[in-house]
Amino acid sequence: MRQFRKIFGFEFKNYLQNKVFVGVTVVLVAAMAIVMFSPRVMEALGSGPGGAAEDVGAAADGGGLPIMLVVGEGEQDAEAIAQAFSGAFASYEVRPYYGDAEAVREQIVSGEAACAFVIESPLSYTYYVGNLSMYDSNTMVASEVLQGIYRQNAMVESGLDPQDASAILEARVSGTIENLGMDQAQNFFYTYIMIFALYMVIMIYGQMVATSVASEKSSRAMELLITTADPTSMIFGKVMASCLAGLLQIVAVFGSALLFFHLNSSYWGGVGIVESIFGMPGYLLAYMLVFFMLGYLIYAFMYGAVGSTVSKLEDINTAVMPITLVFIAGFFVSIFSMTGGDVDNMLVKACSFIPITSPMAMFTRIAMTTVPAHEIAISIAILIVAAIGIGVLSAKIYRVGVLLYGTRPKLGSLLKSLGEA
Amino acid sequence: MDLSVNNIEKSFVGKQVLSDVAFHAHGGKAFGLLGRNGAGKTTTIRIIMKVFPADRGEVLFDGRPFGYSTEKLGYLPEERGLYPKKKIIQQLSYLAELKGLGRSEAIRSVDYWLDRLGMAEYRNRRLDTLSKGNQQKIQLITTLAHDPDIVILDEPFSGLDPVNAMLLKDVVKEQIGQGKIVIFSSHQMNYIEEFCDDIAILHHGRIALQGSLGAIKRAYARDRLVVRSEQGEAIKEAFGDACTAREDKSLLIHLGSAGDKREGMRHIVENFDVDEVKVFEPSLNDIFVEYAGDGAQEVDHEAV
Repeated sequence: MRQFRKIFGFEFKNYLQNKVFVGVTVVLVAAMAIVMFSPRVMEALGSGPGGAAEDVGAAADGGGLPIMLVVGEGEQDAEAIAQAFSGAFASYEVRPYYGDAEAVREQIVSGEAACAFVIESPLSYTYYVGNLSMYDSNTMVASEVLQGIYRQNAMVESGLDPQDASAILEARVSGTIENLGMDQAQNFFYTYIMIFALYMVIMIYGQMVATSVASEKSSRAMELLITTADPTSMIFGKVMASCLAGLLQIVAVFGSALLFFHLNSSYWGGVGIVESIFGMPGYLLAYMLVFFMLGYLIYAFMYGAVGSTVSKLEDINTAVMPITLVFIAGFFVSIFSMTGGDVDNMLVKACSFIPITSPMAMFTRIAMTTVPAHEIAISIAILIVAAIGIGVLSAKIYRVGVLLYGTRPKLGSLLKSLGEA
Repeated sequence: MDLSVNNIEKSFVGKQVLSDVAFHAHGGKAFGLLGRNGAGKTTTIRIIMKVFPADRGEVLFDGRPFGYSTEKLGYLPEERGLYPKKKIIQQLSYLAELKGLGRSEAIRSVDYWLDRLGMAEYRNRRLDTLSKGNQQKIQLITTLAHDPDIVILDEPFSGLDPVNAMLLKDVVKEQIGQGKIVIFSSHQMNYIEEFCDDIAILHHGRIALQGSLGAIKRAYARDRLVVRSEQGEAIKEAFGDACTAREDKSLLIHLGSAGDKREGMRHIVENFDVDEVKVFEPSLNDIFVEYAGDGAQEVDHEAV
């Protein structure tokens, strides 16, 4: 136990003194700060002298907003429709335009206007646009506005009072949603982010453990270490230290993001995604910690054991490949079932009980659906048992592996010497 | 203090590496464990250090099972290596602490040794900024800083310049003088001859020869004389075929039998101007080649 504490302390200090580790953490925290403070900064800039001029000037010369042209059937028509459109398209400056389709094209190609609606009849139009973006919803809005105008005109023509007609058209149905389980649209983003964080941290720190073991071996410090400390303390000390370092980094990055968000929360009002991410319930954070710790331990032990079987650092990437592939597969099962909208399928359910995939699969289920408490308990229990088992086994592999130099041992001969050692 | 290795056997994945290896090392004396590459020296040392257990046999310290928590071991591996990117003082005190010293005790001891080996100026340097010989000395500190009872040195002199070799010799003699058990494993026979009272030669995982070095040498027939003289030509003429020149310009004279020794010496001293005359004893090198060479006999040989 004394040796474990010493090794743990030494390895942990190594992380804190590692310039890359510290640098990456600082950069990530800084990035969080930049993102979280950006709306406040933009608002501060926007209300400055330059911004104020822009607000006034935009209306006068159209310097700020992109221009949308509206071509009607007649002069009067174009102006009426343009007026209706400027209410619906707040992010455009809508101008009536008088010319044929060819002139409209030219206006757009030359960059004078961003897009144009050429109204051919009350119920048909052509939309001209320079580049059609993926999220362009202008046609939907335009169709709705034109439909409204057509219906209102039709109602008035058939004898209705114009005010009654617009009252009928503006009537809205109101409804509320009473969700008894999880709101997947709400949970999606933070679940996605957390699964991704879990994936990144396990992958990066797991590889770090493997590299650390292999470099001790290739620098032959192992010769001395193996005769100084017992292998179980060595691998447990290493893995626990990197686990704590990883945890520290997660807490630093997410903690600072949370802090910065709260400092700027008033500026983020109305940005649904961000509010949903930071509105994540506390119990999920607790589960995240549990699954991170256990999942991390299982993978770090495996990475450490594999690291002990290579003699040269160059071999480490090929050696850890099988573990990495299994891990990636587990990651994609979770991600695909999330994006596919069916989180509770058989595959994810099965994966949520298999120790090497359960940290991500079970976490996804907990975050996105309602999982019975006993299933969570069973999954965590299996994980704990597996982590201990894999830890002990990896210490054994490590004891044998670190003394094997030269070509990497085949699995069979490794197992054989495990039995003998 | 007394370390007994009793009939150790070990095999790896079906291949017998050690069979029936037994020897004793005593406190206050150096013990030389010799053998060619792959003879089983490192495996023997690792079994003593409990890196892995023997299939059969035992290691006893003062007649009782070796207590790894009570008796302290210091090991200088043949493959040197520490943490290249770490500061010297950091890694040395870490290793000393792993071996049971307290924090301040570890630093004090490491500082003593850095000073003793003339390395104090490198205290806060990174290991990889040091020359190979200096790294070697740093490694020696990891062996000795925790004041072990048993010191195991695997090729301690390789890579050291003559001045550093002298320094290491002093340190080793000091350790022996403190009554510690010092086990040497080396291919450099001159050092073994200089330090070791007892030796064991391992050959293909078996002890081919062991005992007191002096006794082993005396066991050879004492029927040859080594003569050093300015009158080499005259001596050669007088002894004819019985006299051969050696590599170092001295002469080797074959007597009829060991009984003629005194008569032969007197004859040479009376008739020639002689600088030195002594009975020929084989060097450890000769003995090693005889017992561990390609033509060596496979049978166990107990010289004493």
